[in-house]
Amino acid sequence: MSYYFTILSPTDTPLFNIAFGTSKGGGDGIARFRFPETAQYMNQFIIHSSLDILEEAQWTNGGMYLKHIDTYPPAAAYITAFLTPSGARFLLLHQPPHLPSSTSISSGLGSSSLLGTAGSTTRASSSSIAANPTSPQTEEAVRQFMNEVYESYVKTAMSPFYKQGMEIKSPVFRTRVTAAGKKWL
Amino acid sequence: MSSTKTSRIGEEIWKTRVDKVNAELVTLTYGTIVAQLCQDYDSNYQDVNKQLDKMGYNIGMRLIEEFLAKSGVGRCANFRETADMIAKVGFKIFLNVTPTVTNWTSDNTQFSLIFEDNPLADFVELPDDGRAQDELWFSNILCGVLRGSLEMVSY
Amino acid sequence: MAVPPRHATMQSISNGSTAQGTDRPQTQQTQQAQLSQQSPGLRVPSNRKTIYDRHLNRSRNAELSRASFAFLFGEMVTYAQRRVTGIQDLEKRLNEQGYPLGLRLLDLLFYRSTSTSSSALSSSSTSSSPPNRPLRIITLLHLIHGPLWRLLFNRAADALEHSVSPDTPNEYMITDNDPMVNTYISAPRDMSMLNCAAYVAGIIEGVCDGCGFETKVSAHNQPTELWPSRTVFLVRFGDPVMEREKVLERAGVK
Repeated sequence: MSYYFTILSPTDTPLFNIAFGTSKGGGDGIARFRFPETAQYMNQFIIHSSLDILEEAQWTNGGMYLKHIDTYPPAAAYITAFLTPSGARFLLLHQPPHLPSSTSISSGLGSSSLLGTAGSTTRASSSSIAANPTSPQTEEAVRQFMNEVYESYVKTAMSPFYKQGMEIKSPVFRTRVTAAGKKWL
Repeated sequence: MSSTKTSRIGEEIWKTRVDKVNAELVTLTYGTIVAQLCQDYDSNYQDVNKQLDKMGYNIGMRLIEEFLAKSGVGRCANFRETADMIAKVGFKIFLNVTPTVTNWTSDNTQFSLIFEDNPLADFVELPDDGRAQDELWFSNILCGVLRGSLEMVSY
Repeated sequence: MAVPPRHATMQSISNGSTAQGTDRPQTQQTQQAQLSQQSPGLRVPSNRKTIYDRHLNRSRNAELSRASFAFLFGEMVTYAQRRVTGIQDLEKRLNEQGYPLGLRLLDLLFYRSTSTSSSALSSSSTSSSPPNRPLRIITLLHLIHGPLWRLLFNRAADALEHSVSPDTPNEYMITDNDPMVNTYISAPRDMSMLNCAAYVAGIIEGVCDGCGFETKVSAHNQPTELWPSRTVFLVRFGDPVMEREKVLERAGVK
């Protein structure tokens, strides 16, 4: 499983983002998106195209954790959302790895070495809880991840020098998010 | 006056004679003040430090009355006693902390106060602009408070 | 007092070499009362703790002296006064200073109600369902009247009312009979109408805005014989909020 996590301000300014891969089932924590060359751009595009749905969900579900809100089939990407009460949006895009059978089909798309590694990770991680983005186990794991990031986010926002909408640059914050990803996803 | 006795006085006043408020309201309000100054002075931290010192000085001149009224203590016999009084009664009743008095010079005219704990700075992460961490004295208002209040009792 | 000791926050204390006061006029006084810290730089706190290492509940029930608050708040008002042209301008400035505080307190409040006592969020405590974000005006106002007021002033506000005028259905009033922020503040003579609770009005505005309710909040003196500094916070929601409120009402969203 590959993940792209982003925090957007209430007016959709990106405040923080990070890509990582699963650490479950022997995963090495490195993101391997299906189309590595365009992943960064595609991930942001997919996340932004889910914002309308998020805004609707925001006013029907009062929870902070809104779970899986959107799917983008062309990239097999799943979006899970968490809303802080002060309006920041945490969005997690997950992309399950290629199934072993599909590795050969898509091998023409990227460099062979990259896909070769992806293929081997796939076999290891397909049995992990995170392999199915909409399973209850995954929703629960993501909840824990989001809660942990929320805690660090509140600590950031409590500082008098942090103003809403400012990019979060603290390396410690990044470390915390990485650790939460490693622990839960 | 013995040091332990001074501690007891501080504790006693804090427990029985001090009106209290939520500490976080104070912390967050102080943070707001410093952040506002940094904005107004365009992150010229020397000026911010000066302004904080000035504010502290104003506070110190009035705070000393409150201190004397609440504590009822008389004149200190020497500067060492004064230091003890500041740390164990003064800081105790206004900030609920007791800094350590240390680094005395041989002529007994200088000392340092070391804070294990500083409620003014809770939640604070200094701006990451490569200067603030060296140049901004976030709690400089305390220096001003000491200056103001000590001046009123003619130090 | 069962207040847990807070970790040292060294970054906040003046640097030893500079606090000697050699470049200051009041050398004598500052030398005697220097606040010093031996480490040369403040970039990394000497104990290596950052804001991320400090538990958010550490100061949850901590108390400080009311006089300290009054002194600081008084200086804040005095300083703001020097940079403004009149009462309205001053109140606006105080409001703006309160606003970001509202956003912070909102996150802090929800964090505290999600995390159970002192246990970290990571301990799989999923049984306790976290509180909901307010979707409707009345839920939001109850959040302000109760939990927010208790966090700030250790008690709930005194009243919450809806405007009875058919022309202003978007107006609500939160009353504090004896606002703590006005306790020690004496308004300057030429500003007798000033209400320093504009700071609190800003906090309320931040909370409302954060939750997605565009609002203007102002503080008004409404003294009674019994409560001379009684203050009414007038909360006026914007048209989009009122429109959405109708839609949510129809949809049965609570």
